[in-house]
Amino acid sequence: MIGLGLLIKRNIKMFFKDKGLFFTSLITPLILLVLYISFLGKVYRDSFAMSFPEGMEIPGKLLDAAVGGQLVSSLLAVCCVTVACCSNMLMVQDKVTGARKDFVVTPVKGSTLALGYYVSTLISTLIICLITTGAGFLYLGEVGWYLSGSDVVFLLLDVFLLVMFGVALSSIINLMLSTQGQISAVGSMVSSMYGFLCGAYMPISQFSEGLQKVISLLPGTYATSLLRNHALRGIFEELEADGYPSAVIESLRDGIDCNVYFFGEKVGLPTMYGILGVSVAVLVGVYVVLHLVKRK
Amino acid sequence: MRNIIEIEHLSKSFGDVKAVQDISFSVREGELFAFLGVNGAGKSTTISIICGGLMKDSGTVIIDGHTLDDNSEQIKRELGVVFQDSVLDKSLSVKDNLESRAALYGIKGEAFKERLKELSVLLDFKDLLKRTVGKLSGGQRRRIDIARALLHRPKILILDEPTTGLDPQTRRLLWSVISELREKENMTVFLTTHYMEEAAEADYVVILDAGKIVAEATPLELKNTHTGDFITIYGINETQVELLQKPYEAIRDAYRVSVSNTAEATELIIAHPEIFADYEITKGKMDDVFLAVTGKKLTGGTEK
Repeated sequence: MIGLGLLIKRNIKMFFKDKGLFFTSLITPLILLVLYISFLGKVYRDSFAMSFPEGMEIPGKLLDAAVGGQLVSSLLAVCCVTVACCSNMLMVQDKVTGARKDFVVTPVKGSTLALGYYVSTLISTLIICLITTGAGFLYLGEVGWYLSGSDVVFLLLDVFLLVMFGVALSSIINLMLSTQGQISAVGSMVSSMYGFLCGAYMPISQFSEGLQKVISLLPGTYATSLLRNHALRGIFEELEADGYPSAVIESLRDGIDCNVYFFGEKVGLPTMYGILGVSVAVLVGVYVVLHLVKRK
Repeated sequence: MRNIIEIEHLSKSFGDVKAVQDISFSVREGELFAFLGVNGAGKSTTISIICGGLMKDSGTVIIDGHTLDDNSEQIKRELGVVFQDSVLDKSLSVKDNLESRAALYGIKGEAFKERLKELSVLLDFKDLLKRTVGKLSGGQRRRIDIARALLHRPKILILDEPTTGLDPQTRRLLWSVISELREKENMTVFLTTHYMEEAAEADYVVILDAGKIVAEATPLELKNTHTGDFITIYGINETQVELLQKPYEAIRDAYRVSVSNTAEATELIIAHPEIFADYEITKGKMDDVFLAVTGKKLTGGTEK
């Protein structure tokens, strides 16, 4: 594959040097942070505290850690997809600026170009998301650290899989786009909608039943749940150790989407990984097929 | 001289729009070939097909003995393209741009460094290597565009309106580099331009209108075929010029008489020697040729 390495390097540099693309990709996580500071933090805290039956109280440190875990998992859930989508906009921007035309007159194969966009988006998104994860860990360390070594590893795996999912999904969407207007429209839509759809702004359990069923069909829902489960597992373990009834803990897990139901059936963690893995494989397959069809 | 580009019965449509209609022409190795036409005449479509950016509907394209259908990768290695608008990455430095593009031809490491050095001397951009492309002036950016097109030592350089909007100094530099390359490396130059004085320097000209070839020949042949000669006579009055019984126009300090060819001019001079004390004979210009064959004027990017 002639030039793949330098093509990837070029794409990554372009993303980080293009202020428009870079800052647009951070809009959704920033919105979430602003919402959290202005009112979401309080909503998370109140709803968590109110989930306990009367006369039963959650220790302040555990409550802080639970709210922190919810924030960090929400932040990662949106970050992995929206950053991927904006970073992958380079694919469209190259059509707008004519750089794509310049690539086409070279002997480099179309498949190399496609792979170049995929890998560079994956790397750029991982860089941002891993930095965000690191910042999240620091924050959790500050408000209350209940993560085990395996939680950390699983959280990193969740981030990696969700980034793969975001890159594959955005590759398919962006393949259809070719103008600056479309870039702005799709970028804004994804940034504003994804946070709601994946349950980052508001737990899915608070949506209407019909909407919950629709959302349960989206693979992103399970990725958010995986992140929630691994970010909050230690807290639930601590509550269990402190003798809180398992029914209360289960209700808490339902309330913040650690438990997700597919048409009434509770979905286990291995199944969630399966759904995410298969989704990534299917989306990558669709991207390859669309790419081949488009060339013909 | 052999043909390095051979186009036979090339056609391309976009829906109902017939962009290129059954055109055939050839370009000889080492020549400066001019491809003229107003916007929408089919020039860019033809170039895109040659470069492999567009699929043709029918016809054959042979570049340096390779057919486009079977050897597009090899053909791409022999073409260098300077697009009408710069297609370099504005947020990256000159060096980063050239490095990423060179890699697409498999030129990396030492080979790239060496080629970069050669080109930076040839096109005088040594001082610009670390500058961001978006911060360069139009002329500086054009030099980098040309360097990018020459990275892989192409046999054919396609220039799509390369001097539009450039200052005279940069235009001169650009043409001197192109002349040097043609001289030293026998490079073939395929040019589209809106500047008729550039087309007049070409070895061969093809004029396209509405997707069809409407005229082709050397500039001299085109002028002889499609325009007449002009005799500019100084130091006479209107009564004298009327004696010639030819169409004329008054210019600031002379009269400009139109004749169909040089032989007719000679006859007039012999018949009226008293009028021709101070005069000059000039051929029609490429603008006149273009107007005669297409009915349109081509002036610096806009047609009238």
